[in-house]
Amino acid sequence: MTILRPSARRGFLRRNGSQTIVVALLVILMVVGSLVSSRFSTLANFMNILEQSVTLAIVSLGQTLAVLTGGIDLSVGSLISLASVLLSGITNGDPGMVVPAIAIVLGLGILVGLLNAAAVIWLKVHPLIVTLGTGAALQGVTLLYTMGPAGKMPLGFDFWAFGRVLGLPVGAIITVVLFAGTALFLRYTPLGRYIYAVGDDSTGAQLMGLPRAKVLLFVYGFSGFTAALTAVFLVSRFGVGQPYTGANFTLTSITPVVVGGTLLAGGRGGVIGTLLGVYLVSLLNNVLNYMDISSHYQLIVQGLIVIIAVSVYVEKKRKL
Amino acid sequence: MSDVNMAGVPAAGEALRNVLRRYALHLSLLAMIVVSTLVSPSFLSGGNVSNMLLQAAPLGMVVIGQVFVILVRGLDLSVASIMATAAVVATSFSGQDKDAALIFALALGIGLATGLVNGLLVAKRNVSPFLATLATMIVLQGMRSAWTQGAPSGNVPPFFRILGSGSIYGVPYNLIITAVLALVFWVILSKSTFGRKIYITGGNPVTARLLGINADRVTIICYVISGGLAALAGLILSGFVGIVDNWVGRGFEIDSIVAAVMGGVALSGGRGTIGGGLIGAAILVVVFNAVLQLGLPIQLQIIIKGVVIVVAAAFYVRRKAG
Repeated sequence: MTILRPSARRGFLRRNGSQTIVVALLVILMVVGSLVSSRFSTLANFMNILEQSVTLAIVSLGQTLAVLTGGIDLSVGSLISLASVLLSGITNGDPGMVVPAIAIVLGLGILVGLLNAAAVIWLKVHPLIVTLGTGAALQGVTLLYTMGPAGKMPLGFDFWAFGRVLGLPVGAIITVVLFAGTALFLRYTPLGRYIYAVGDDSTGAQLMGLPRAKVLLFVYGFSGFTAALTAVFLVSRFGVGQPYTGANFTLTSITPVVVGGTLLAGGRGGVIGTLLGVYLVSLLNNVLNYMDISSHYQLIVQGLIVIIAVSVYVEKKRKL
Repeated sequence: MSDVNMAGVPAAGEALRNVLRRYALHLSLLAMIVVSTLVSPSFLSGGNVSNMLLQAAPLGMVVIGQVFVILVRGLDLSVASIMATAAVVATSFSGQDKDAALIFALALGIGLATGLVNGLLVAKRNVSPFLATLATMIVLQGMRSAWTQGAPSGNVPPFFRILGSGSIYGVPYNLIITAVLALVFWVILSKSTFGRKIYITGGNPVTARLLGINADRVTIICYVISGGLAALAGLILSGFVGIVDNWVGRGFEIDSIVAAVMGGVALSGGRGTIGGGLIGAAILVVVFNAVLQLGLPIQLQIIIKGVVIVVAAAFYVRRKAG
């Protein structure tokens, strides 16, 4: 028994190492936070953090799947911007148009994702280049549509950003449900397993007859969908869509993914790690705010976290 | 060997196709210039040409570094951040020429150091180049805005103003500098042993190691070169712009990668030339300028850039396969 126990513990750590580290960091941050300010460890503040992390969480969910296949989706930022201005532009204050407008932007998101995947599959261009290209094109289209805030949302639409159900932020509940659903999907469905297989060894997966094209179409379509959904929550928060509202999300959506232990090379990681990564980033910003540290230094800390995360998790093979 | 027929003589059609294929890049640049001139006669006017050359010079400088990094299977997203940091350094002193040497040393030092960190992370820690350079980009950005408290101010010393926007006999100084740097680095890449080592390392790191090449060191040096050139480009661009904000050079990381890819530098490493990258940069500048000259909406610039990068990358994939 004395021999088995440490080895069992090592096994657990090996399997869940990244999650364990992130959870440990979360705990440390909470301790630091409550030492720094008495207002930190209040229910209101935690609800606040949950509420603010919704948009980052949802866009990172789609990004995680793209990264799991060994790819990346750099078009999410521009897609969020385009979906935002379209949503509030089409709705333009008319409550009857809200549902059609949401359907349109979600459909657009999926369509853009499918286009990305099609270019990766049939033009055989690296996802990084493809999504960089579509990202630029989408930003141009967004600016052709409007150069400033477009339209407005009807009263009450801010429920999705600020509303509470059973005392919990609506967005946070939706986030957790989406992450749990995706985690189950990745673990228990054939398509979910194929995502890992394609990311681990694309050629090998194809030789085994796995439907690589179908996997990529699904993954980038899903990423487009989550980006559009992020736009819905952003518009709900601001009340209007803006043409640069998503610009920062392209790169910030990658931070929680890698901090959560998903390898950029693909094939290893998962969405639960990403969710923990999202909460780590949000909690960190919150604590730094309570410590009165300016946003300039917060950037430095964020960059250092990425450096530390990626140099702790050893990449199995080097890719772009 | 497919260009040789049974008699060992290249068929005329085949030969033509080979010429087209080899010079596709040069021809498309030429075609773009011809079309732009036909549609808008002012395109080839002296003022517009020297304007384009002024814009092309800093981009060209960054592209040279980007080519080195991409050749060793990398990618440098930190170049724009290095440029902006160099620009902030340039205006952080008295704004007189007496500080020029100090500014030069400081900016170059920051560029080289950032490149070194990138290279060490990629080579020694096996971090993916995308993430390593993304992280240093964010850190530099934070350090810059912490240093300036978000509102950079001050003047660019006249010396850099002249370098960035002056010209001699109509030839901009910054273009001369870029040309000299291109020549120096072309010699390093194409004529030196170290250049061969870069191609071998990028082509196949395992082979490189078996040949006794210190692949890690080669990789690190490529990132250092890129960082240094980005710092120089930042100084020159700050001299061109004349004022400073936190975002001098914004977009250069994407544009330099686009230029290199268009110029036939393979993201999979080991293939490509500085000349190709520079022609890619020229195409980019011509396209942007043509959009302006034709009075088209400026947003089209971004859309065209996005389409061009995917099409160009697909073209090279096809050529490799064919």
